[in-house]
Amino acid sequence: MHDPIVTFEQVTKSYDGRTRVVEALDLRLARGEFLTMLGPSGSGKTTTLMMLAGFEDPTSGTITLEGKKLNHVPAHRRGIGMVFQNYALFPHMTVAENLVFPLQMHGVPKAEIEPKVKRALEMVRLPHLRDRKPTQLSGGQQQRVAVARALVYGPKLVLMDEPLGALDKQLREELQLEIKHLHEELGVTIVYVTHDQSEALTMSDRIAVFHHGRVQQLATPAELYERPANAFVASFIGENNRFNGTLAARDGTACRVRLSGGEEVAAAIEADLAVGAPVVLSVRPERVAIGAHVSADNCFAAELLEVIYLGDHCKLRLRVAGSEAFIAKVPAGDPATIAPRGTPLTVAWPAQACRAIPPLD
Amino acid sequence: MNPQGRGLALFLRTFTAIVLVFLMAPIVVVFPLSFSSGELLTLPTPGYSLRWYDDFFSSSKWLLATRNSFVVGIATAILATTLGTLAALGIFLGRFRGKAFIVALMSTPMVVPVVVTAIAMYFAFSFVGLNNTLTGLVVAHTVLSVPYVLITVLATLQTFDRNLLKAAATLGAPPHVAFRRVLLPLIAPGVATGALFAFATSFDELVVAIFVAGPQQFTLPRQMYAGLREFLSPTIASAAVLLIVCSLALLAANEYFRARGKARTAAADPAEPN
Amino acid sequence: MAISRNNLLAAGLIAPLFVVVVASFIVPLLVTLYTAIGNPEVRQTLPLTTGALRDWNGEGLPPEAAFAAVIAELAQAQEGQAIGQLSRRLNFEQTGLRTLLLKTARAKETLAAPYRESLVALDTRWGDTELWQLLKRNTGTLTPLFLLRSLDLTLTPAGSVAQAPKEDAVFLPLFARTFVISFWVTVLCVVIGYPVAYTLSTLSQRAANIGMALVLVPFWTSILVRTTAWFILLQREGPVNALLRGLSIVDEPVTMIFTRFAVYVAMVHVLLPFVVLPLYSVMKGLDPVYLRAAASLGAPPWQRFLRVYLPMTMPGVAAGGLMVFMLSVGFYITPALVGGPNDQMVSYFIAFFTNQTINWGMAAALACLLLLMTGILVGVARLVVPGFRLGSVSP
Ligand SMILES: Nc1ncnc2c1ncn2[C@@H]1O[C@H](COP(=O)(O)OP(=O)(O)O)[C@@H](O)[C@H]1O
Ligand SMILES: [Mg+2]
Repeated sequence: MHDPIVTFEQVTKSYDGRTRVVEALDLRLARGEFLTMLGPSGSGKTTTLMMLAGFEDPTSGTITLEGKKLNHVPAHRRGIGMVFQNYALFPHMTVAENLVFPLQMHGVPKAEIEPKVKRALEMVRLPHLRDRKPTQLSGGQQQRVAVARALVYGPKLVLMDEPLGALDKQLREELQLEIKHLHEELGVTIVYVTHDQSEALTMSDRIAVFHHGRVQQLATPAELYERPANAFVASFIGENNRFNGTLAARDGTACRVRLSGGEEVAAAIEADLAVGAPVVLSVRPERVAIGAHVSADNCFAAELLEVIYLGDHCKLRLRVAGSEAFIAKVPAGDPATIAPRGTPLTVAWPAQACRAIPPLD
Repeated sequence: MNPQGRGLALFLRTFTAIVLVFLMAPIVVVFPLSFSSGELLTLPTPGYSLRWYDDFFSSSKWLLATRNSFVVGIATAILATTLGTLAALGIFLGRFRGKAFIVALMSTPMVVPVVVTAIAMYFAFSFVGLNNTLTGLVVAHTVLSVPYVLITVLATLQTFDRNLLKAAATLGAPPHVAFRRVLLPLIAPGVATGALFAFATSFDELVVAIFVAGPQQFTLPRQMYAGLREFLSPTIASAAVLLIVCSLALLAANEYFRARGKARTAAADPAEPN
Repeated sequence: MAISRNNLLAAGLIAPLFVVVVASFIVPLLVTLYTAIGNPEVRQTLPLTTGALRDWNGEGLPPEAAFAAVIAELAQAQEGQAIGQLSRRLNFEQTGLRTLLLKTARAKETLAAPYRESLVALDTRWGDTELWQLLKRNTGTLTPLFLLRSLDLTLTPAGSVAQAPKEDAVFLPLFARTFVISFWVTVLCVVIGYPVAYTLSTLSQRAANIGMALVLVPFWTSILVRTTAWFILLQREGPVNALLRGLSIVDEPVTMIFTRFAVYVAMVHVLLPFVVLPLYSVMKGLDPVYLRAAASLGAPPWQRFLRVYLPMTMPGVAAGGLMVFMLSVGFYITPALVGGPNDQMVSYFIAFFTNQTINWGMAAALACLLLLMTGILVGVARLVVPGFRLGSVSP
């Protein structure tokens, strides 16, 4: 990345002088990319965004925008657009007035204002609501106006802090796609914050996973899912089955892990770990084969404990290698789903579907 | 509902009606008395006339008192609203500990018995020559009414979404523009309510006036009080009616601003409206 | 750490009000406190006498110089206003001193050296050790006398604390009366206000709005106007008596004005909205789901009220009740207009001492005690009512 639009260098933030809410953050944001900050609530995402927008000062470290240090630039001179979770539409202005506001602030000539407002409203498909007050709009409509308002004056960078958090699932998915398409059309850089992993997977070019104020992994969605860097990432993104064990043997990226019950499992490994180190094994439920006669690198006897029907597929809860919370995903028609509770089964998964990763601290 | 429950409900409603009559009756009764054509404050009145209003509006004492009341009330409202609103904004914008203490300190005039405030000011004003001046009365009334402004504006600010100021900044508005175009219009109803209450406090205030005002500074309540102690003429009833009408106007204005304030702050609620 | 720009701005915004409140409220309160314990009269009017008494050990009679000084200074004080203040002040200490001082001041011409003998000849009290002890004691900058008197205590000439004489011991009963009246007014307001607020909270929104308007109108009407209305209504020839006689309930007009009854009626009328308004908002905000839950758990209506509704509305009762009590304790106008001499409260005497007898020390001492009581009440309120805020009842 030669020409990052934003860089964070060793940025640390503490509100009270003791606990570090963001710790030694290094981040480079490519021009035009859609980067998502994903993490549980309280992990420091909003704080990071607020430092970038100019509402909080970093305790130490530097942030640059287009090569210029941002440390003492006030928020209104940064030219960074922002979409807030509760929309933050000005309640005493109409939709159109809300859009006119940033254009006036940026000294756009009078004659250009109206066409820009019109175009922005068409972009979010709300030209008919221009004279409504925000209170007279539904949540989804308000959010579209908020997006239009953040984009109307053409900022190069737009920040969105859980913009869809207050909407119901269906509307959320609809707007996810709309925002993604706007990003593609306009080519702006977007930093998006969410705690919803499926939202992050749907929209992002890259995802930064936050936990305890640190970025645990920064990677594309596929990479995060397939090759989580540690146990936190593995458990936070998608479902997984985990076993604790120790690294028994290693040969490049292939290894064997001994579980606490004595069983040995063949797995893939990337982390820089030596034999004897404690590791966590992560197996995705959809990579587990199940039946009476399956075979793969790893085969275990299992006992069926529960079948959970989910429409297009079923989840089976199994007892495997001492764990009673082992989940396997199978198609709805699979014979195992109609087996009675207690049926002995065999589960199997290839070494490539099973990753040995460092445990979390 | 069972018969027992219905009996209880009926009893409660009757009781409430009686209490509401008790609350309103004295205020209502003053009206016919003020229009009496007789010299005595008795009901039923011997007839109706406007003579006591005529008396009121041709008495230099009452006219002076009316003028003083409005001058002091308006000056108090302006001062208290300005000081209270600025302080409320400071408390809202600042990031420091001890906000509750500051609010409590500045609201003490509300809980200190008025007589204590009154003699305290009387004693202190005697050193600086503010007794028997309208300025002294305005200062005293400002101190008494500023807590209401502070508390109403703070309450309004509590419903104000701080993100709106951040949003304004990200849209390119410098702080003073954000203040003028976003914050001020949204808290205006609360400020107006505070101003009304400050005016009403001053307009109704008597105890401090008894101590620090001389006859030239008599306000309407003070003049009424003086009248009550001298001779109970129906002019007092007509003065009371005029005061009641003013109070009603203030109450109506207050309700208007409250409704407007509600309509605005409702917009900050992100819940789906439909 | 440097003060952030944000806080600098905040400080600038808060400062004007802070200055005004401190200068015209806190400082006056401190002045009042000082007035309650300050003792400037003797030192200012009799500075030489003060000096002459400094080395006197309080036994026998003071040196001749003190006699000479007191004669000269009293005469000098008579030229200006000072003699009045001094004699009033010392007369409050011991009745009769006023005449003694005035007499002495006027007698300057007839008094000659040796001054001790000629003063004692003028009035034998000047030969009294206790009088000189009293004078010496009052050369101090501070005096506990006014505060002690407010508590029906006094100082003996020797300087120890004793019960005030019966005819002066009026203040403890006065505080007791203030508390009793305030207590009953509070009880009446809560007992009347609770069912009213409850009923209003159960009505349809339209009806409730009308009901609340009938509470708000009196709330916004000035206290004086409402008291005046009762003053008119309760006259012997007033509308209430006319009504009672018209309905043949009584034959003779009943005396209501200038009685404790009138005080209660008018005070409850003035203060009732302060209970109804917070209670109504608490009751309106109470989620009916709790009562439904209690019902589904088998609680009959009475139990639902006692075990769920009452405890949940208690904060409103406490907030409103404390507000009423606090306001009652400081009431002045209403009892002064509709009450009799035995229905006046502490505030009345504060005004009385300030304006009628010009005894600022007593007025200030009573004010300080009243303030202390209010302070204790606010403290209790903070402890008892979770989240008690001063402005909880402002409209
Ligand atoms: N203004 C603030 N003052 C003090 N602590 C704060 C402030 N804002 C956030 N925090 C704390 O910082 C941590 C991270 O918060 P935040 O950045 O909001 O997390 P996220 O957006 O990931 O949920 C939390 O523990 C939160 O309590
Ligand atoms: Mg957040």
